Amino acid sequence: MTGGHRRILVVEDDPETAGQLVEQLTTSGYQVDLATCGNDALNRGSACDYAVITIDRMLPDIDGIAVMRRLRDDGIAAPFLIISALGEVDDKVRGLRAGGDDYLVKPFSFLELLARLEALGRRSDTVAKETILRVGDLAIDLISRTAGRRGKGIDLLPKEFQLLEYLVRNEGRVVSRAMLLQHVWDLHFDPSTNIIDVYVGRLRRKVDDQQAYPLIHTVRGIGYCLRAPG
Amino acid sequence: MLLAKTLTSSTFKLALIAIGTFGVIVSVIFSYVYLSTSAYVRSRSDHWIMVESMDLRGVYEQSGRDALIGLIRQRIADRIFADHVYILTDPSSAVLAANLGEWPPTATAASGWAEFRAAGASSDATAPPLVRGMIHTFPSGDRLLVGRDISDLDHFTRKIERAVISVISLIFVVAGFASILVTRRTVARIEQINATSRAIMASGLDKRIPLRGTHDEWDRVAENLNLMLDRIETLMGEIKQVSDNLAHDLRTPLTRMRGRLEKAYHGQRLDEDAQALIGDTIADLDAVLRIFSSITRIAQIETGERKEAFRTVNLVEVAHEVVELYDAAAEQNGSLLTISGNGEVLTTGDRDLIFDAIANLVDNAIKHGRAGGQVVVACATVNGSPVVSITDDGPGIPADQHEHVFKRFYRLEQSRYTPGNGLGLSLVAAVARLHGARIEMCDNAPGLKVKLWFSAPKSERP
Repeated sequence: MTGGHRRILVVEDDPETAGQLVEQLTTSGYQVDLATCGNDALNRGSACDYAVITIDRMLPDIDGIAVMRRLRDDGIAAPFLIISALGEVDDKVRGLRAGGDDYLVKPFSFLELLARLEALGRRSDTVAKETILRVGDLAIDLISRTAGRRGKGIDLLPKEFQLLEYLVRNEGRVVSRAMLLQHVWDLHFDPSTNIIDVYVGRLRRKVDDQQAYPLIHTVRGIGYCLRAPG
Repeated sequence: MLLAKTLTSSTFKLALIAIGTFGVIVSVIFSYVYLSTSAYVRSRSDHWIMVESMDLRGVYEQSGRDALIGLIRQRIADRIFADHVYILTDPSSAVLAANLGEWPPTATAASGWAEFRAAGASSDATAPPLVRGMIHTFPSGDRLLVGRDISDLDHFTRKIERAVISVISLIFVVAGFASILVTRRTVARIEQINATSRAIMASGLDKRIPLRGTHDEWDRVAENLNLMLDRIETLMGEIKQVSDNLAHDLRTPLTRMRGRLEKAYHGQRLDEDAQALIGDTIADLDAVLRIFSSITRIAQIETGERKEAFRTVNLVEVAHEVVELYDAAAEQNGSLLTISGNGEVLTTGDRDLIFDAIANLVDNAIKHGRAGGQVVVACATVNGSPVVSITDDGPGIPADQHEHVFKRFYRLEQSRYTPGNGLGLSLVAAVARLHGARIEMCDNAPGLKVKLWFSAPKSERP
């Protein structure tokens, strides 16, 4: 990633939340600009090339969605991460999701935000053209939908393959349970059980059992990460 | 439809009872009038016949047969007595004086009243006139009959009779029509109120009963119901406002709180105990947030806003996805999750919400079913209604609890200590209400069978 792509615009009107975000994102290595209202966001958004813009839906002057639409009309291509309050995940936000952007429900875990920012930022600079993806001794074939380690095939159900594919595509990055629900199952709510953990547990048994080293790692309090050692 | 409702309405039944009672009273009064009128007319006529008969008998007894013959001839000639009938015969039945051809064959009594048709009478009427007369047999064997043509009288009473019958029938017909009209009006107004109530149950509190501007009692009922609806709508709006505000006002402090906790959790100078405490606090905060978001989600579903985004949904497809998602959870629990039903079972609705409802039921079936048991999801179209059923073979739910389990935060005694917040089935109920679907719970002996009866898909606009 280039330096320009580590630059993020945060649009948030609550001073303390904004302060926390700026501080934590800066610690995580991002360059952060802050806009505290819709007009400010419009000015800053069109003035600079951002990797990602996070925007609160409820702003004191202009609605977050409207800000996003205007910036889009001005030709701003940066992906938007919409941050909405509880229960506001309505059809508008779902529509945005179809446009390639992401959303997060407030209050959120900072790690979740970070995971999503990583995923969004990555999307704007690489497009995978390979049909076979490799991590360590794991290889997955996107055409034949098969996976194997050290040339030995792993028997996977279609959903398990999708799950593994998503983890592989986000190699080295933390993916949250909510992200898995959204991208693998196309679900936009929390089924309030440990369903994802159970699913990942099963996948992990198939992928990591009796291997030289584990690939799927649990990240406490947030989700999972697939990475090869070293 | 309206006619059937009219005929079965209580107003119409009351009207029928009223018409019946009124009709009986009118009939009794008219019959009395008819009977007393005809009896009076007849008794007047009988009186005159009797007086005449007595007169003639007196002449016979005082002055003899010849004098009577003379008097009868005189009477026959008199125009005043034109409607009278006289006949005097000797013991051999030979006519001595008469304006009748012969002694009427039907009048066989020795004395008393007789009625007969006077064939060959003097009158030139086409039909032989009806005569009522008094017969008297003298001790000598001579017989006298004095009578009067009562055809007119008969016509008169018959006319009264016809008038009475037609008036009574007319009253019945008019009253019948009037009651149907009145009932129809009543039923139409009540139907209007019913239709509005149904519309309110189906779509929301924004509907009102139309007023006719007649300021009658119906308008007043409608006005009051509308006022009541206004009040309910205001209250509901306030409640929604409160929960919306709650959602909005709580998110900022909660976001800050979570942020601070997270910062502390990842802080450098922290011993393990403190970190565990903070970790647990974050987990509890997340649990609170989940309950909170479930409540706002149910509230949002109940506003009915999502109806606008309804599409045709294949329940088989959704059920397959749910089973795919919960497959691993069932496996972990040692139970077997299977699906039956292929092809298409279509309904109109919100795919995500239907998924959520089925997922909640499957989740419950796995959690509360028997460990190592079986959970079956089945989709079918029964009598044109798409139905999804979720069956387990666990302990089930006692029949008297079936109603309560859909209440918010309701938890069965037996599941008090299993994870969950008591909102899952409330969400299922809210989704079902939004879709106009019926939830049926029955005993699977052993276990529980929950059926979701959806409505047949509406054809989508092209």
